[in-house]
Amino acid sequence: MSENNAKKKMSFGEAWQKFGTIGIFVLLLVILAVIRPSSVFSASSVPQILKQSSVNILLALGEFFAILIAGIDLSVGSVAALTGLFTAKMMIVGVPVPLAILAGILIGTGFGFINGMLVNKTGLHPFIITLGTQSIFRGITLVLSNSRSVYGFPVSFTSLMSGSVVGIPIPVIIALIAAVILWFVTTKCKVGRNIYALGGNIDAAWYSGINVNLHRLIVFMISGTCAGLAGVVLLGRVGAAEPAAGTGFETYAIAASIIGGTSFMGGKGKIPGVVVGGLIIGLINYAMTALTLPSTYQQIVMGALIIIAVTIDTVVGRKS
Amino acid sequence: MQTLVKMEGITKEFPGVKALDNISLEINAGEVHVLLGENGAGKSTLMKILSGVYTPTSGKITVKGKEYTKLTPQDSYDLGISIIYQELSVINELSILENLFVGKLPTKKAGIIPVVDYAKMREIAADVLSKVGVHRDPNLFVEKISISEKQQVEIAKALASKADVIIMDEPTTSLTTSETEHLFKIIRQLKAEGKGIVYISHKMKEIKEIGDRVTVLKDGTYVGTRDVADVEVDDLVAMMVGRKIQGTYLNEECHDFSDKPVFFEVKNISRKDQKVKNVSFQLHKGEILGFAGLVGSGRSELMNAIFGAEPKSEGQIFMEGRELKIDNPYEAIKSGLGMVTENRRETGFLDNFDIKQNISIVPYIKESKGNGVIGLVNDKEELNYANQQCADIRVKMRDINQNITELSGGNQQKVILGKWLAAESKLIIFDEPTKGIDVGSKSEIYVLMRKLANEGKGVLVVSSELPELLSVCDTIAVFREGEIRGIFKNSEATEEKIVKTSTGE
Repeated sequence: MSENNAKKKMSFGEAWQKFGTIGIFVLLLVILAVIRPSSVFSASSVPQILKQSSVNILLALGEFFAILIAGIDLSVGSVAALTGLFTAKMMIVGVPVPLAILAGILIGTGFGFINGMLVNKTGLHPFIITLGTQSIFRGITLVLSNSRSVYGFPVSFTSLMSGSVVGIPIPVIIALIAAVILWFVTTKCKVGRNIYALGGNIDAAWYSGINVNLHRLIVFMISGTCAGLAGVVLLGRVGAAEPAAGTGFETYAIAASIIGGTSFMGGKGKIPGVVVGGLIIGLINYAMTALTLPSTYQQIVMGALIIIAVTIDTVVGRKS
Repeated sequence: MQTLVKMEGITKEFPGVKALDNISLEINAGEVHVLLGENGAGKSTLMKILSGVYTPTSGKITVKGKEYTKLTPQDSYDLGISIIYQELSVINELSILENLFVGKLPTKKAGIIPVVDYAKMREIAADVLSKVGVHRDPNLFVEKISISEKQQVEIAKALASKADVIIMDEPTTSLTTSETEHLFKIIRQLKAEGKGIVYISHKMKEIKEIGDRVTVLKDGTYVGTRDVADVEVDDLVAMMVGRKIQGTYLNEECHDFSDKPVFFEVKNISRKDQKVKNVSFQLHKGEILGFAGLVGSGRSELMNAIFGAEPKSEGQIFMEGRELKIDNPYEAIKSGLGMVTENRRETGFLDNFDIKQNISIVPYIKESKGNGVIGLVNDKEELNYANQQCADIRVKMRDINQNITELSGGNQQKVILGKWLAAESKLIIFDEPTKGIDVGSKSEIYVLMRKLANEGKGVLVVSSELPELLSVCDTIAVFREGEIRGIFKNSEATEEKIVKTSTGE
């Protein structure tokens, strides 16, 4: 009997957990449609929102894993800038475009490896380690670029990144492919299951035979890879490697993960939620432009959203 | 002699458990009153009622002629009752001086603003520290001093608060012989000053040496109070253990397996932290081997070392004649070991997983390659694992996708056992397997253990409940201070013998 009741009546908590993220997205869309209908009901609006979201989604996907193990990765924005710079420099010295893209992504993986090793070897919280590497990676970017924009790479690269397939922009396709692969990892692969276990209870995971350090390393490598990918996409979109590229993007990545339903305590969260979280960030971005508000206001809205989303999440979590 | 504290008819019920049933205790000025009982007898609960941590369900407490039905920590402090816990509560990050007055800093007025009165603090500190024999700079941080000095600081703290009743919970556990001597000197001096001391201990020798009266508790009930001078150690052990009706044991199924082939063997295991010293034992085919001893005597530490969860410095492990290389739980699982850990919530289950995921995690790790990283999750296979285990061990649940935190303690424990069975473990270590679970589930778990042993699996059981060990184990090894001090066959084991061996009498 209680079973039937539970199925019929969904508590606010359950509803929030299932539809909270998408609800925020729809709500924002409706608000925007009411204030400025033309910005939503036009042919270019959807691709534009998606395009604005792609870098956020990519960074958020990696950040999701770091938060899933009750950690964090503050270096994603810096990693994106540095991989973008490396990719740009490689292309300028004549490395073929596909090879440069691949190398850029793998360099991101390498930075993630460095983060993971530092966390494992020092035993410090990822917050401290990635706070440090955030600054180090940014510093290296500034040194290598002489604090100047780096450009002049093949048109084939920029046209690839600004192109689209059946109307869907390439960056969006890249983000979607990454999301699908990581969704598969989290739901169908043992490594994904183990990462959830690690986030849920690190000691119980250890007693269940999970190699804690190895999985933590994998998590940071995933985060680094996503940041590398984001760096390459960003490079294509901007058309130059900016030394300040991606500054503050870790905040958006964290916000997207949290708004997407990832628990800061670790062990809980899903990839589709993170994708919608990234879309919300992109939508806010788009709305600011559409409403001709200065982009600086974006940070205020974002900050408020993080607090509201986490508050609801915590209150709901406490009840259940 | 003046009575400082009188506890009468104290009963404390926790949801589902009666921790204390009608207990009485009297503490006089100038006496050392020993509180004796096995793990879980209710000593700590009783003292927590006196120090105001717990509220009694019924009963009354008379302190200095005034009656109370309950005390708050503040009441207890104001009435001069001070407790020194086994895990010392000094704060390493503060100085000796600050520790003496933590939370109760004396103040003086600077104009209208109250400020800390350091001069007064130093004055009191000099007095109480010299009483307990700590000759250290009061500004020294507590992390820099030894454990016995920390304990002396705690006693000094009690004195600084003008306590008349000082409770010491197993104060000599981590002290050397000479440090213990020094502690006893302090206790005698406090006694002479008319303080009442409650001394919780398992060590019979100490009781004879320092105690005046002794009160014995068993399973939350009051057994009796005696003058230490008139009582023999044997009598105390008999009081602690009580006279159990033999029929309550299920030990008809226990046998002597010593002529059977050796199934599992451990040789000379030691740990760097000295918690396990050169321990060896053999488990025969079909046998259930139990480990008795006081908390902290090295039983769980040994099991964690065998399972690879905590490092061992030396030693070999053999199963069916083959040596196993185990440096972490992953290798233990691959070798066919399983471990139901002592603390379900902390090391047992994953609270973000449902029942089936909690079960499949271990077989998945066991079958996977590359340290558990490579391999796919197969929903059908996972359901099979889980459904089969839950049916076999009869987990009471709504459905298999339910979160594990919604189950009762006994059913959670069954799910944890299920994950080891699903991985086809050949040897399962049970560390306090029935801690905090209901009587019905307890006996079900005993039956499961016997069934596993009959199927030819190895079963090791660590338990602080002697009736449990005597009910289910064919052989019982008794630990004291990191070593096995005695091995008894079920037919010759008694609670008296085990208690004596584990306490060193």
